[in-house]
Amino acid sequence: MVDNDIILDVKSISKHFGALKAVNKVSFQAKKGEILGLIGPNGAGKTTITNLVTGDLRKTEGEVFFKGKNVSNLWPFQIARVGLTRTYQVVKPLQGMTVEENVLVGSLFGRGDRKNDLNHAKKNAQEIMRLVGLYKKREFVVSDITLPDLKRMEFARVLAMDPEVIFLDEVMAGLNPSEVEETMEMVRKIREDKQLTIVYIEHIMKAVMGISDRIIVLHHGEKICEGSPQEVCDNPAVIEAYLGKKYAKEVMNS
Amino acid sequence: MMAQNDNKFNINIILIIIAILVFIFLPNFVSGYYVRIFTAIFMYATISQCINLMSGYMGYLPFGHVMFFGIGAYMTAILMGRGLPFIVAIPFASLTAIIVSIILGFPVLRLRGHYFAIATIGMNGAIMSVAQNATEITGGAMGTTFPIILLPPGQVYNYFYLAFLGLMVITTLAMYFIVNSKFGYGIRSIKANEDAANSMGINTTYTKVSAWAIGAFFTSIAGGLYGYWMSFISPDEVFDLMFVTNSIIMMLIGGAGTILGPITGAFIIESLSEFAWSGFMEYHLAALGIATIVIVFFVPKGVVGTIANKIKNRRIALSKKAEVSNG
Repeated sequence: MVDNDIILDVKSISKHFGALKAVNKVSFQAKKGEILGLIGPNGAGKTTITNLVTGDLRKTEGEVFFKGKNVSNLWPFQIARVGLTRTYQVVKPLQGMTVEENVLVGSLFGRGDRKNDLNHAKKNAQEIMRLVGLYKKREFVVSDITLPDLKRMEFARVLAMDPEVIFLDEVMAGLNPSEVEETMEMVRKIREDKQLTIVYIEHIMKAVMGISDRIIVLHHGEKICEGSPQEVCDNPAVIEAYLGKKYAKEVMNS
Repeated sequence: MMAQNDNKFNINIILIIIAILVFIFLPNFVSGYYVRIFTAIFMYATISQCINLMSGYMGYLPFGHVMFFGIGAYMTAILMGRGLPFIVAIPFASLTAIIVSIILGFPVLRLRGHYFAIATIGMNGAIMSVAQNATEITGGAMGTTFPIILLPPGQVYNYFYLAFLGLMVITTLAMYFIVNSKFGYGIRSIKANEDAANSMGINTTYTKVSAWAIGAFFTSIAGGLYGYWMSFISPDEVFDLMFVTNSIIMMLIGGAGTILGPITGAFIIESLSEFAWSGFMEYHLAALGIATIVIVFFVPKGVVGTIANKIKNRRIALSKKAEVSNG
């Protein structure tokens, strides 16, 4: 299947830690401009897949194509430079720097070969901090801001890199319901403004269902289901993975 | 706001130029003893700047960095022994140091933290052994001499004073421009979080090796000048870890991760050891060690870092006040 809309094509990637198959022959594709949800119970391999695609972990097997180019064997910084980026589930701020400097680094490096132009990068960083609502906190050192702000900062940092595909690894974790609502709105708006493709990894079902165009469900490192939010919700295998066999039977019978 | 910043910048530049001019003409007014002390201060400040780039900004403590000092001194001695003038020998010496730093950098900069520090000490030992045992080239453990400098005795001190002053100023300027460039943000990101830096598109290996090579370049020039100044060097002397230990202490006291920190630290430590502690030599090192512990515990940002922090906090507080009163 040759389709120009497909921006990210993951072909049968696996990661084995000894005998444990953390990810086993998972394939999926992301179309340009869509939000693809990636869900699954704890230990399903969601974050490992992100690590494999962005080069943070070496793949046991499989290949990743980005815009038709094989990026399987590139280093993380090279993958970031072609326009494929991520945020971290456990935030990794640049310690000791201010919020503005964190976003500035994303703006200085990021996609393509960028010039050594601090003023331009600074303007770009400030624009993005306004977009995600961090502008007022730009002079704070990262150790002085709250977790939701740190997550927002990671998102801003990634946006400053001007990527085409973003893996958002649990940006909602630790947020309260109103903050979840706010963040969902922000992600949706920015996706439309910037024509981004987002692979959205999440635990909070409400957030995933509300925001995703398509959802992939993982369980024990394997893909068990793929489809629209409604299809996924109705799939017996998914209910079983989330709720257990016994409860799943009751739900299906009722 | 903008104009105010520009003014401040101009005043700083004028102050720095005045300070440099004062130091250029200082030897005409003070005795040779003070000229020699200042020369040592400038030399230590240069090495401390290089270590500051590696450690204060990038988070890699290069304990064996003195190897480049030794390589610079020995290469200059060897080349001058073959009849080359000093000004020609120095570039070759620093080129050698850069090549060595790049070759060693790729494997050793994969290590992090203490492992990196210890690996560099090992490499310094290995290079020192070469200098000790390649007797025909280096003169072996007995050391080697430089050709006699052809200047009237009174001017020799001034010659090295000005050379080290120039080296310190150039190194500091270079560090200032490096730290405030894109490359500098790459260096600081590596200290902050190397994995995050990598995932943001920073080629961490290239950045680390480059910073290490820049340090090697300036340190090797300091080594070459030191050798010519002393006119006799031996492996035990120019590969002595004390050079780096002193420079690290200077960096910590002055302020790691600040441009003026290493210079301030060099002035404080060198003047203390010359004027205050020279009376009781045996307690000198103990006092230095205790001072370092006290500094690390109570003033972790060093003199310059603490002052800069105070100024920055006051500026933020003022701008907050302005915001409140405006809106």
